[in-house]
Amino acid sequence: MKEYDVIVIGGGPAGLAAAESACKAGAKTAVLEREARLGGILKQCVHDGFGLIRFGEKLAGPEYAERYIDLVEALPVDTYTLTFVTEIKKEKDGFAVTCVSREGMLSFRTRALVLATGCRERTAKQVLIQGTRPAGVFTAGTAQNFVNLMGKLPAKRCVILGSGDIGLIMARRLTLEGAEVEGVYEVKPEPSGLTRNIHQCLHDFDIPLHLSHTVTRVFGKDRLTAVEVAEVDDRMRPIKGTERVVECDALILSVGLIPENELAESLGVKLDPSTKGPECDQTYMSTVEGVFSAGNALNVFDLVDYVSECAADAGGNAARMLPSGECVRLEKGKGILSYVPHRIDLAKPSDRVVLFFRSAKDMDRATLRISADGKEVYKKKFAFLRPPEMQRVEIDFSAFGLNAKSKLTVELEEN
Amino acid sequence: MNLKAIAKRVHKIAPSVKVEEHRGCVRLTGELDSWDAIYRCGVAAVSGKSLGVLNDIRLKGFVEEMKKPSLRDRALEGKRPDVLIVGGGIMGCALARELSRLDISVLLIEKANDVGTGASSRNDGCIHPGIDLHRGQLKLHYVLRGNAMYEGLCKELGCDFERWAQTFMFSTKWERYIIAPLMLLKGKLLGVPDMSFKTPAEMRELEPHPPKWLTGAVYMASAGVVSPYKVTIALAENAIENGAEVSLNTVAEGMELKDGRIVSVRTNRGTVYPKIVVNAAGAYSDVIAEMAGDRTFTIHPRKGTDLILDKKKAYYALSSFARSYFAPLPPEAREESHAAVGHTKGGGVMRTVDGNILVGPNAVEQPYREDTSTSLSDVMSIIRKQKVAAEELSAADVITYFSGVRAATYEEDFVVRKGIFTENVIETAGIQSPGITAAPAIACDVRDWVKEMLGAKDKKDFDPVRKHTPRLAGLSPKEREEYIRRDPAYGEIVCRCEEVSKGEIIDALDSPLKVCTVDGIKRRVRPGMGRCQGGFCSPLVVKIIAEHEGMREEDVLKGDEGSFILYGDTKKGGEADK
Repeated sequence: MKEYDVIVIGGGPAGLAAAESACKAGAKTAVLEREARLGGILKQCVHDGFGLIRFGEKLAGPEYAERYIDLVEALPVDTYTLTFVTEIKKEKDGFAVTCVSREGMLSFRTRALVLATGCRERTAKQVLIQGTRPAGVFTAGTAQNFVNLMGKLPAKRCVILGSGDIGLIMARRLTLEGAEVEGVYEVKPEPSGLTRNIHQCLHDFDIPLHLSHTVTRVFGKDRLTAVEVAEVDDRMRPIKGTERVVECDALILSVGLIPENELAESLGVKLDPSTKGPECDQTYMSTVEGVFSAGNALNVFDLVDYVSECAADAGGNAARMLPSGECVRLEKGKGILSYVPHRIDLAKPSDRVVLFFRSAKDMDRATLRISADGKEVYKKKFAFLRPPEMQRVEIDFSAFGLNAKSKLTVELEEN
Repeated sequence: MNLKAIAKRVHKIAPSVKVEEHRGCVRLTGELDSWDAIYRCGVAAVSGKSLGVLNDIRLKGFVEEMKKPSLRDRALEGKRPDVLIVGGGIMGCALARELSRLDISVLLIEKANDVGTGASSRNDGCIHPGIDLHRGQLKLHYVLRGNAMYEGLCKELGCDFERWAQTFMFSTKWERYIIAPLMLLKGKLLGVPDMSFKTPAEMRELEPHPPKWLTGAVYMASAGVVSPYKVTIALAENAIENGAEVSLNTVAEGMELKDGRIVSVRTNRGTVYPKIVVNAAGAYSDVIAEMAGDRTFTIHPRKGTDLILDKKKAYYALSSFARSYFAPLPPEAREESHAAVGHTKGGGVMRTVDGNILVGPNAVEQPYREDTSTSLSDVMSIIRKQKVAAEELSAADVITYFSGVRAATYEEDFVVRKGIFTENVIETAGIQSPGITAAPAIACDVRDWVKEMLGAKDKKDFDPVRKHTPRLAGLSPKEREEYIRRDPAYGEIVCRCEEVSKGEIIDALDSPLKVCTVDGIKRRVRPGMGRCQGGFCSPLVVKIIAEHEGMREEDVLKGDEGSFILYGDTKKGGEADK
C-alpha cells in the first residue's frame, strides 16, 4: 500500500494544476487518471483560445494540457494512468483509495484528496427528447471525440441542439470537415455559449442560430433520418403548431454539463444546488474534512484558465491542510445564478478570497454587493454580465469583521 | 358459438364489419378508419366457445411495413433441421435451449441482428407471482411453473435473479379490511405461494420510503426480477453451446404446405426443410401462424413505456410495488387518474437486478407491431402517476426511457398448443406479459411434445451451465485481482458509470452468439447503460469492436443493418461512401 499526502483524482487540467501546486507545497502527491493519457477533455479540444490568462497566449487544448503535463512530469509527482478509482473509504486521519488497473487492484492511503473528476454531458433523454432510438444522436463531446481523436466523421448534415460552447465549437469543426450544420437550436431566448464563440463559430460560417426553439423528436429506425423542431413559449414548452421536420442524419446535443461527483457523494460530501458541485469554503475544501474539489467537478467553468487557478489553490490547500474553524455561510442573494465558495472558514486566511459567480440573467450594468448582518460590506460595479460568462473577483473577507453568527449574503443588483 | 350475439356486440361498434365463422374462429372483415374501433370490435368478438378471434378489419390507409434484413444469400439453403424455431425472443431462445437437451438438430431464425431485441428487451424483467391471473388461463399455469423455475435457471445461466418481492399497497381502510383478505384468498385458490398481509409498520421495515397514505399491503414474496435481455441472450448462448444453431438477420418469407404439413420454409437465406416448425414470432406470431395455415388468433400490438432512474435513486424502492387500483387516488393525485389505460393495472415502481429503479409501464393500443418510439405525454403521465407511490420521484431522476410492444391476443391469453390445422407446427404465440416468467415453463412442455412427435432421445452430454465471465465489478478485490493477472484487459475500465472493463467487452465479442454491435455489447455487459448513456464510452466501444474484429470503425453498427455510427475519415471531407 502506497502512502501519499495528497491524492488527486483526475488527470485533466484541474487535476494537473492541483498536483503541481500540492507537490510544490511539499506534499507527496499522486494523480490517478482513468484514461490512457493525461490531459482530460483538452485532448480533444483542438481549437485555440486556451491559456490567455494563465500563459498570456492563445493555445490549442492539447498544447495547454501539454504545458501542464510537462510541469507535473518535472516534479516528483506519481502519475497513474488507466487507473480507475472504485472505492474511497474515510479512515482516521485520511482516506483509503482502491483502484483497478491493468497491474491489478491498487490500494493507496492519503491524508487529503483533491477530486478533479470533471463533468459529463446531459443526454437526449435528460432533455426529454422523444421518438425512436437510432444511431446518429451524439452529445457534442462524443462527436468531438469521434472527429478529433478518432478522425472519423459522425454526420454529414446535422442539427445541433443547445448553444453551449462545445456545441458551437462542433458546429464550426463539422463545417470545416465538410459536414453541413443545418442550424443550432437553443431553447432559451439567449445563447448559452460565450459571445466570441457565437461570432467565430456560427456567424463566420453562416450557420443559423434559432433561439427559443427546441428539438422534440427524432425519427429513423436505424440511422437518424430527421428531427422535429418546435418553437417554445416563455416557460420553454413547445408551442403546438410550430413543429417543423428537418431532414438530417445526426442530432448533436450541447444541452448542459453536470459535475461528476459520484465519488464525492459516496464520501458524504454535500453538494450545492446552484453549482451541482461540492459545497466548499475559500480553500475549496468540501463539507468533509480533507476532501477538496477542483475544476469542473466543483463548478462548470467557461475558461480552462479559471479551472487551473482554482485547482492550483485547491491542491496547495490540500497540501497545507489548515485546521478548520467556525464557518460563515455565504448565502445566495438575488441576481446570482451560481457561485463559489459557499462559506468562509474564519480560521483560515480570508484576505484574498477569489469569488467566482455567474449572473442569473443578462445585465448591462450591475452591482455586486456583499452584506454582513444587513450592512453592505463590499460592492463592485460590473458591465455586460451574461450567465454563460463566469466572473472572477478577489475580495478581502477579513476586513468585514465576521464572526460565527454573521449573516453573509452575495447579490447582484441591476442598475 | 353464438355468432348472432357476437355480431350484435360488434355491430354496436361498427355496423359495416362482416362477422362470420371460419374454421371454428370468429372472423371479422371490413375497413374502418379508427384503430380504437377495430380493437374494440376484436374484444367484442371474444367468445369462450370459439377457437379465437381473427380480426382482419383493415385500418383505412394503413400499410404495415415489417422491418426486414436486406441480406440475401443461400447460407441455409437445403438445411433439414428437426426443429425450426421462428423468432429469437425469450420464447424462441428458451425453446432452443430446452430442445438442445434432445438428440435432434435445432435451427432458430431471427430477423434482427441480435436475439431479444423486441419485447424481450423492452420490459421490466418482472418474474410475476401470478396474482392478477385467473383460473383456467394458460398464463396462470405457466407463470406459477415458470416462477418456480427461475432461481435454478438463472444459476445455470449465470444471470442475476433476485426475489425482491412485490407489494400491493392500500390507501384506504376498506381496502385493507376487504380487498386484502380477498386477495389472500384468491392467492390461495390460484396457488400463488408466500403471500401475506403487512401493516404499515411492517412495510416500513421492508421499504424505508413507503408512501404517506399507506394503510397496509399485500406482500408477495415469490415475485422476482431478472434482466430480461440478459436471460434471453444467455438462453441462446447455452443453446448454441449444446449444439443449436442461431441464424440472425434471417426472416421467414413463406411456407410451402402439402397435405396439412409444412414442407419447407422460405427465408432470405435459403429454403429450409424442417420436420417441425415452432412459432415464437412474438408481435408477428399471427402472421407466422397464417403462413403455417394454423391461425386461430390475432395479435393487437400494445405499447408500453418504462422509465429508468439513476442508481442514486435506488433508495426509492428495495422491491417492486404498486398502489392498489381499487380505491380512488388520494385527492392530490386524482387528476391523473385517467392514466390507467387498457389492460395494464397501471404499472408500478420496481428495482431492477442492476440496482436502477424502473417506473412504468403504461399500455397503449396501436396498429404498429414495431413502433417503439416514445412520446412526451407517455413519459410525463407515467411520472405523475407513479409519483403517487414513489412520492419523491421527479423527471430529473430519469436517465432514460424506452417502449416495447406486447404481443397481445384478443383472448388475452397465451396460445401454446400443437397445430390444429397443420400437423407439424407448434404455436407459442401471444406471449406477452407475463411472458418472461412463463417462457421457460412453456419451453418444457414444447420439448416434451417434440420429443414425442419425433421419438427423440435425451442428449447425453447436455450441459445446462453456460460458460461466462462474471460481472467483475461485483467481485471481491481478490477475485478481481486474479482475473486481471490472467488478462490485464480486465483491469482496464471502459465504461465508468457501470464499471465495465475492456476484458469483459472482449469476452462478449468472443461469446458463442457473436454480435459485434454497440447495442449488442451494451445488452451483454452494460457499457452505455449508466447515467452518461454512453457519452464517454461509446467511442471506446466502437474502437474495441473494430480492433477485435479487424474492421473499420465506420463499419461498426449500433444495432441492426443501416445503423452505422460513423462515416469515413474526416480528411475525406465527408466524401466517404455512405
